[in-house]
Amino acid sequence: MAEDYKQADSSGNDEAELTRREMIKLGAGAAIAVTIVGLDAKAAAQSAQEKAPLFFTKDEYALVDELTELIIPADEHSPGARAAQVASYIDFRLSESFDEQPKTLWRDGLKLVEQLSQEMNGKSFLESSPEQRISLLTRISQNEMNPVKPEEIFFKELKSRTARAYYTSKIGIDTEMEYKGNTYLKEFVGYDAI
Amino acid sequence: MNFIRLTKEGKGDVDLKKTYDAVVVGSGAAGGMAAHVLTSHGMKVLLLEAGKKLDTDKELKSTEWPYQHQRRGEMPPGHHALSLNEYTIRQPPYAADTKFKHVHSYVQGWGGADYSKNIVVDERDHPYTGTNYAWVRARLLGGKTNIWGRLALRLSDYDFKAKTHDGYGEDWPISYKDIAPYYDKVDLYLGISGQKENLPHLPDSIFQRPIKLAYAEAGLRQSLKKMNRVLTPYRAGVTTDGLKHNKYRSRCFGRGACNRRVGGCDIHAAFDSPTGLILPAMDTGNLTLRTNSIAHEVMVDNNTGKARGVAFIDAETGKTYEAKARVVVIAASTLESARLMLLSKSKIHPNGISNSSGHVGHNFCEHIMGPHVTGLVKDLAGKPHTLDDGKPGSFYVARFRNLTDRHPNFIRGYGFEGGSGTSMYPGNAGSTPGFGSSYKKTVRDYSGAFISMGAFGEVLARYENYVDLDPAVKDRWGIPVLRFHYKFGDNEKKMAEDMADTAQEMFTEAGFEILGVNRRVLTEGWSIHELGTARMGSDSKTSVVNQFQQSHDVKNLLVVDGSSHVSASCQNPTWTIMALAWRSCDHLADELKRGNL
Repeated sequence: MAEDYKQADSSGNDEAELTRREMIKLGAGAAIAVTIVGLDAKAAAQSAQEKAPLFFTKDEYALVDELTELIIPADEHSPGARAAQVASYIDFRLSESFDEQPKTLWRDGLKLVEQLSQEMNGKSFLESSPEQRISLLTRISQNEMNPVKPEEIFFKELKSRTARAYYTSKIGIDTEMEYKGNTYLKEFVGYDAI
Repeated sequence: MNFIRLTKEGKGDVDLKKTYDAVVVGSGAAGGMAAHVLTSHGMKVLLLEAGKKLDTDKELKSTEWPYQHQRRGEMPPGHHALSLNEYTIRQPPYAADTKFKHVHSYVQGWGGADYSKNIVVDERDHPYTGTNYAWVRARLLGGKTNIWGRLALRLSDYDFKAKTHDGYGEDWPISYKDIAPYYDKVDLYLGISGQKENLPHLPDSIFQRPIKLAYAEAGLRQSLKKMNRVLTPYRAGVTTDGLKHNKYRSRCFGRGACNRRVGGCDIHAAFDSPTGLILPAMDTGNLTLRTNSIAHEVMVDNNTGKARGVAFIDAETGKTYEAKARVVVIAASTLESARLMLLSKSKIHPNGISNSSGHVGHNFCEHIMGPHVTGLVKDLAGKPHTLDDGKPGSFYVARFRNLTDRHPNFIRGYGFEGGSGTSMYPGNAGSTPGFGSSYKKTVRDYSGAFISMGAFGEVLARYENYVDLDPAVKDRWGIPVLRFHYKFGDNEKKMAEDMADTAQEMFTEAGFEILGVNRRVLTEGWSIHELGTARMGSDSKTSVVNQFQQSHDVKNLLVVDGSSHVSASCQNPTWTIMALAWRSCDHLADELKRGNL
C-alpha cells in the first residue's frame, strides 16, 4: 500500500503539471529556492538591524528573533523562523493589535525570559550559550498543554504565533512542507472510489 | 482567471409604478431558483435582495497565498468572530456591549476570514434575542450560496414519509417520485459531482466526474463495506465537467481554496445563485434586480386578502418603497421568511400573513453537530506529502441508523462529513508539543497523516421550538428582530452520543489510531441548516403552505425556501430547496396561465 500511496502523488496529474513540478523539485526550483532563502535572510537581517521594529524595542526584537528560530530552527531540510521573517510578522501584528492584552503578554513575557536567564545562567538570554538557551526554553515549555506559570503561558503564545507565521510563510509552505496544492489541476488527485 | 464580470445592476430599470408578474424576496438558492424558473416561463419578475451586490471575484481571491496577504488572511484589528465559548456563556444579541468595531458569526473565526468579511453580516446591525443560537447570515446578492459548504444531497422517502416509517411528526405532502424529476433538472442545470451508490435512503443524482479519495479515505471505504456502511466521494454542488449552457461558470480545477477559506469559488465551479441562476435569468430580459432592498411587509389587498406587493426599505438611504406584483414569492431564508410573514400583520391577517394556523415560526428544526473523531493513519507518517486538498470536498458517510432496524435510544439518523491528508496549513502545528528540529520534523512527518469526520443529525421538528418577533429590539433599520425559543431535545442528545460511539468504532475498525473522540454538541444553529418555520402540509390548520409551497390562506403567496420543509432529515438541504422551488414555480406559472390566481 505504501507504494500505491506514492503512485497516487503523480498518477492523478496530467503530464504538463507533473513535468512542471518535477522540474521545480529537481533543479530550477532549487536554484530559485536558494535565491529566495538568501533574500529572505538578508531582508530579515536588514529589518532587525536597520528598520526600526513597529512594536518591539530593538533589544526585544533581537530576543524574539532568536526565540522563534529556536522553536523552528533552520536544519538540513529547510530554513527556519529567522529566514521566514517570523519576528517581523509577529511585530507587525502586535503593533496593530486591537487589544492591549497580547501586547502586555509579550512585553512581560520577554522580561520573564530575561529574568529567568539571569537566574539560571547569570547573563542575558542572547549572551547565553546555545545549550543554556535550550535549557531555558525546555523549562518554560514543560506544561505546554496546560500552562500555569506566567512564563509557561508566554511560551504557549510565543510558539503559537511562531508556528502560525512560519507555516504561512513561503518558506514554510514551499520548502518545509513541500505543499503541492493551490494550483490548477486537470484531474483530481487520489483514488477512485471502488 | 476572470470568467465573468458582475456588471448588471439593473437598479435603474426598476419601475415601481409597474405591477410585476411576480416579486421575489431573497436571492439565495431559493430566490435565485424562483427567478430562474419564473422568467423561463416568460413572467416579468422583480427580485429584491436585502444586501448589497458584491463583486465576489474581487473579494475571494482564492489562489492568493497566505504570505501575499498583509495579515495572512486574517481580518483587520477591530473585527471579531464569535467563539463557541461566547455562544455558550452569553445570550443574544451577541454584539451588545462589545468593544469591537465589527462582530461576526463563528465562521469568521476560520482561516482566510478576511476574504469573507464583507459577505457575512456584521452582528451589530443584525441583532436577535432569546435562547442561544449561532445564526450565520450573508446579506448580499446570492446570500449564503456565495460561501456554502457545497454538499448536495437528495432526500428520500425515508425522509418524506418518516412518520409512516417511525410514527413521529408529520409526513411531507409529497413523495420522492414527485420531486425526483426536479432533482434531475437541478443536477443538469447546475452541475453536481458524485458517484453512484444505489442507496435507497440517499438517492443518486445525475453526476458529473467524481472527486477522488485520499489514501486513508479509500481504505476507510473498503473497511466500511464490511459493516454495510457506505463512504462515498463528497457529493458536491460543483460542476466538475463544466456546463455548456452557462457562460458565467467554469468547471472545477481542484484549486482547493474551498476548504482553506470560509468558502466561495471565484471561478464559479461551485454553484452560487448569482452565476448559476440570476445572471442567466437576467439574460432572458424578464428579470429586474434591486439590491439593498430590505422587505419588511407583504402588502395585502384589504378587500380580497390577497398579496398585492412588498414594502421595502432601501438599506442605504432608509427610504421606503412598495413593489407591486400579481404574485409574491418569499425566499428570504428559513428564519428571515418567517420574520417577514410575522411582520406582515393586517386586518385580514392579524397574526401575520399566511399564519391563520399559528404555525409560522414553529416546527423550527435543523441539524445537530459536534461529535467527531480524529485518527492517525500510521502508514502515512513520514511519507512524502501528496496533493490531498485539491478538490471541493472529501467524503461523506451515508446514514445507517434506523433504516431497516430500530435503535433503542433514538429515532432518525445522521451522516458524516470528513476529510484527511495534507492541507496548506499543518493542523498539527498547534497540537505537537516541544520545539526545535524534532518539533519541526514531527509536524512535517505527521501533518498529512490525519483523518477526521463529524456527524450531522436530524433534529426533530417540534411545535415548541420556534421564533417570534421581539417586542422591543429592532435592527439597524428599525425592523423588529427575531426572538429564539429553541433547544435541542432528548432524541438529539441521545443521537449525539451514538454519533461519537459509531465514529470511534468505524475508525478503529479501519485500523486508524484514535487520537480523540469529541462528544461535545455545538450550539444550536451551528450547522447553518435551519428549516421548517412555514411547513408544507395538506391540513391548513397545522401547516402554512401546500405541497406547491403556496400559502393556504393567501393563494398568490408562495414561500419557496427551507422554511417549508416538514422535517430536517439528516441531509444537507440546498439541493432539496432548489428542487422544490423549481417544482412550485412551474406549478405557479401553470396556475397563472389557467387564471387560477
